[in-house]
Amino acid sequence: MRQSRLSETFKKLKRYRALFLMVLPGLAYLIVNNYLPMLGVVIAFKNIDYSHKGLFGLIYYSDWIGFKNFEYLFKTNDALVITRNTLLYNGGFIILNTSIAIALAILLNEVRNRLASRFYQSLVLLPYLISMVIVGYLVLSMLNVENGFVNKQILPMLGMHPISWYSESKYWPYILTIVNLWKNIGYFCIIYLASIIGIDQEFYEAATIDGASKWQQIRSITVPLIAPTITVMTLLGIGRIFYSDFGLFYQVPLNSGPLQPTTDVIDTYVYRGLMTLGDIGMSSAAGLYQALVGFILVMISNYVVARRNREQALF
Amino acid sequence: MKNNQMNQTAVHILLILLSAACLFPFLLLFMASFTDEQSIVKDGYTLFPSRLSFAAYDYLWNQASTMTRAYGITIFITAVGTFVGLLISSLLAYPLSRKDMPVRGFLAFVVFFTLLFNGGLVPTYLVYTELFHMKNSLLALIVPGLLTNGFFVLLIRSFFSTSIPVPIIESAYIDGASEFKIFYRIVLPLSLPILATIGLMLTISYWNDWFNGLIYITEPKLFSIQNLLNRMLSNIQFLQQNSLGGNASAAAATIPMNSVRMAMAVIGIVPIVCIYPFFQKYFVKGLTIGAVKG
Amino acid sequence: MNKHFGKFGWGTGAILALSLALSACGGSNGSNASAGTAGAAGSSASKPVELTMAYMNFGTTTDLQAVQDEISKITKEKINATVKLMPIDVAAWQQQVNLLLAGNENLDLLVTSSFYNYSSQVAKNQLIPLDDLLAQYGTGIKDTMNEKIYNGTKIDGKIYGVPSVRDTAADYGMLMRKDLVDKYGIDLNSLQSFEDLGSVFQTIKDKEPGIIPLVQNTTSQTVASIMYNKDIDLLGDGLGAMLINKNDLKVVNMFDTREYKDAIAQARKWYETGYIMQDAATTQESGNSLVKAGKAFGYLSNMKPGFEQQDSKADGREMVAARFTQPVTQSTSANGFMLSIPRNSRNPERAMQLMNLLYTDKDIVNLLDNGIEGKHYVKNADGTIKMPDGAAQGYLFNQWEVGNNALAGVWEGTPADIWEQMKKFNDSAIFSKALGFTFDASPVKTEVAAATNVLNQYKVGLESGTLDPALLTEFNGKMKAAGLDRIIAEKQKQLDAWAAANAQ
Repeated sequence: MRQSRLSETFKKLKRYRALFLMVLPGLAYLIVNNYLPMLGVVIAFKNIDYSHKGLFGLIYYSDWIGFKNFEYLFKTNDALVITRNTLLYNGGFIILNTSIAIALAILLNEVRNRLASRFYQSLVLLPYLISMVIVGYLVLSMLNVENGFVNKQILPMLGMHPISWYSESKYWPYILTIVNLWKNIGYFCIIYLASIIGIDQEFYEAATIDGASKWQQIRSITVPLIAPTITVMTLLGIGRIFYSDFGLFYQVPLNSGPLQPTTDVIDTYVYRGLMTLGDIGMSSAAGLYQALVGFILVMISNYVVARRNREQALF
Repeated sequence: MKNNQMNQTAVHILLILLSAACLFPFLLLFMASFTDEQSIVKDGYTLFPSRLSFAAYDYLWNQASTMTRAYGITIFITAVGTFVGLLISSLLAYPLSRKDMPVRGFLAFVVFFTLLFNGGLVPTYLVYTELFHMKNSLLALIVPGLLTNGFFVLLIRSFFSTSIPVPIIESAYIDGASEFKIFYRIVLPLSLPILATIGLMLTISYWNDWFNGLIYITEPKLFSIQNLLNRMLSNIQFLQQNSLGGNASAAAATIPMNSVRMAMAVIGIVPIVCIYPFFQKYFVKGLTIGAVKG
Repeated sequence: MNKHFGKFGWGTGAILALSLALSACGGSNGSNASAGTAGAAGSSASKPVELTMAYMNFGTTTDLQAVQDEISKITKEKINATVKLMPIDVAAWQQQVNLLLAGNENLDLLVTSSFYNYSSQVAKNQLIPLDDLLAQYGTGIKDTMNEKIYNGTKIDGKIYGVPSVRDTAADYGMLMRKDLVDKYGIDLNSLQSFEDLGSVFQTIKDKEPGIIPLVQNTTSQTVASIMYNKDIDLLGDGLGAMLINKNDLKVVNMFDTREYKDAIAQARKWYETGYIMQDAATTQESGNSLVKAGKAFGYLSNMKPGFEQQDSKADGREMVAARFTQPVTQSTSANGFMLSIPRNSRNPERAMQLMNLLYTDKDIVNLLDNGIEGKHYVKNADGTIKMPDGAAQGYLFNQWEVGNNALAGVWEGTPADIWEQMKKFNDSAIFSKALGFTFDASPVKTEVAAATNVLNQYKVGLESGTLDPALLTEFNGKMKAAGLDRIIAEKQKQLDAWAAANAQ
């Protein structure tokens, strides 16, 4: 039994050796770039001592300190605030990015003039191309208290008083959401657009003959047919729900203290702590915590998806 | 047929508004790079500056040798990185898309797992610098971004498994074509849309990458455009928020002005905007990233 | 099941194999380093080596190579070593240094600072003690500075860093535009204290509507901090501080002291009267660029001899200063900027020899600080130096970080005897009793992380006058909740131990 199975496996290996050869570079790369450094997660449980050099030296010779490196993520009053902020923002981003990007993609798909369509696509993708630091400057140019575009041009037109944007935390959930949408919508839109273009035109033609309205077509053809894409993108979003775009939450509010109640997320909190402490054990702990929560959430949501439709689940 | 299309005027008006919203801050950025420094500080950024100035571009022109060098490095790493990244990704994706591939499920999980978990910065750094001695080399700007994580591989794989008809592959195999030949002659040419999309994504990420430069490069000769830009922007922010006591202004005096920073941003964006249309023309056919399971 | 295990086993096997390779490599690296150290001790001058020096960089490095080559010519002759300069951008400093010290790259001299984890670098064994090396190879260094400063970097009785020769004390005051001071006949001698500035600000506010009377040069030099710095020694991060004039080595919560409350009340008063820039707490413009653009009258600052001249250059206008305090040397004044030898160094002896040259060799210091004569500067008749006509900025080094700056040529516009003034200034200062103490935050890192977050939320707002001082109670409450008391207790414990060790 065992013998035959082994020889069968061997035969298979021979038959597929070219395919295995193709896998090899990528696999080797992932092992070096992603899996090997994962050994480093134990740093989260260590008090690092640098007298021995190299990854192995760091890991092997440092003392175990249990969960001490994790304490600052849970034991303080901020823990609740930063966790809440992180979840609410990222949850909101997943919903808004997905729905608005799909709407935009459908809209773009409706444009008959090819050249115009390409033109719009390029413009919408533009913000995706610049770094968050620059975005921070652009937002400042709009919201600067004394000479920003909004306070100087827009609010007076509406008969309103200037607002001290960088010290009023209540506006920032909206500002950050808008900035995030503005920056990333092009990227998501292009992924969905590509998926929509792939839909067979015959579906729509048949629907039109049956007298279906445009809205009905979107609801019963477009959205169901791009559902797999939506599922994948959403599951990936959920997997990273505990990570946040550091640039967005640190550079754009200019690290302004009074805004912290609504802008502080796990990543900025960790960064601020590390600037004073420089402790890689603590940053590893934060990374591990974020990854674990993301992993569990993805497993759960994938299970839910799989229960409803096996084909759409990730694995 | 009339019912099949939305009202074109309404669609265009909506899209023009949206595009304008996306474009507006760039116009601001562009104008700021041509604005006299003192009037930026005094009046803020505006579309119609009171005093125009080419000082920022003059300043950059004076640094022409540094700038050209940085441009060269950016172009080189973008070209090589995109090509190699695309090659490795599609080579890995193809066997994963084949339903008859042994250990396919396990391999897919190995790829997928990298999306969720990483070892953190310090271990990654140690692997690249101690094991492969990549510190201060162009390789350090290319290698860490090749696959980054498995996301692109999964995208390509689902395109392969949904858009390449299995019978074509089978008949080619029966005709005696090798797997490599099938991949090269049949699969790749049929997959231009996804290759163009992923190629664009890779190009953008290489062009805009500053993080690897920040971590692995201390040699000024090897700075890319984004590195130069990022250093400038974050140095000034750092000085603004950290204590150097009585030496702060001496340090600040060595850092370029607002308009220069904006001009740097402009010359960082322009090339990628010019490249974009070349990729875009392949977006004619769809890519489906659904059914990653395949 | 069996099948599953087989697959899994294959993957793990590969990872294990690679990790073994890695550990082997790591292990051999470790032993190499120690062997190298031992070897170098024997053959000190015989073998030529390359010494790498990492320092904070802010600006232009275009001609770095040329300067490096010139320095190497001298060092090759004197200590049979070439020098490799490694400028690291200040914004990337902490990250890159962390990585450099975690790895095993050769690094012989490193700028260290109590503001950038000096104490934890020592606690984590990243730096080597210098006492023996200084005694053997660095004999020229000690005489270049005040003895208190030289000894002000010790941890557990050992020296891990050598301070640069710079302004190790600071006095505090207001820097103002000279043209406006002259125009409104403001008598600088009549200004005796920070409170007296109110009338000056009022004049500017009334007569120069487009100009803000008071801005902050940076968000770390807040209005209030300049006023309380002469009284409060922050002991590093300000989480637990000490009153300088009490002379008692007692760690207190500075946000609860009368000095702090008075300072933020004054700032608030000025803010509400409209003297202080409205978005002082969040602006991205430095005081320098605001003054340069004609938008601001001046700013409060820590100062030193020649400060007016230095800032006149940065502000593009002539500036005058009103100084209100005696010079003060804080606990961190010595270890604010130092040169250390990291454990990564393969040649600590040669590194110390190079350090010695940085304190004693005029040619090397001038090359490092000012660049190459004729290319980056030319000498004036009076001995000061200036940029050659029409030359573009090709080399800039922030000289206060490293070495004996008194050996460097003085730039035009600065008094030629600046370094004599500086020495007098440094020696005449009030020395904090805790000079040399550095806090190791690792025993209370959870609390420090939380307290830092609270600090960031309130400090700049309160100290720039933007926030109502009534919020101080709320701030202190949150600080308490974050564990400030535990930090203070730990700091007190370390300070007592430090004092006991120093008394011997």
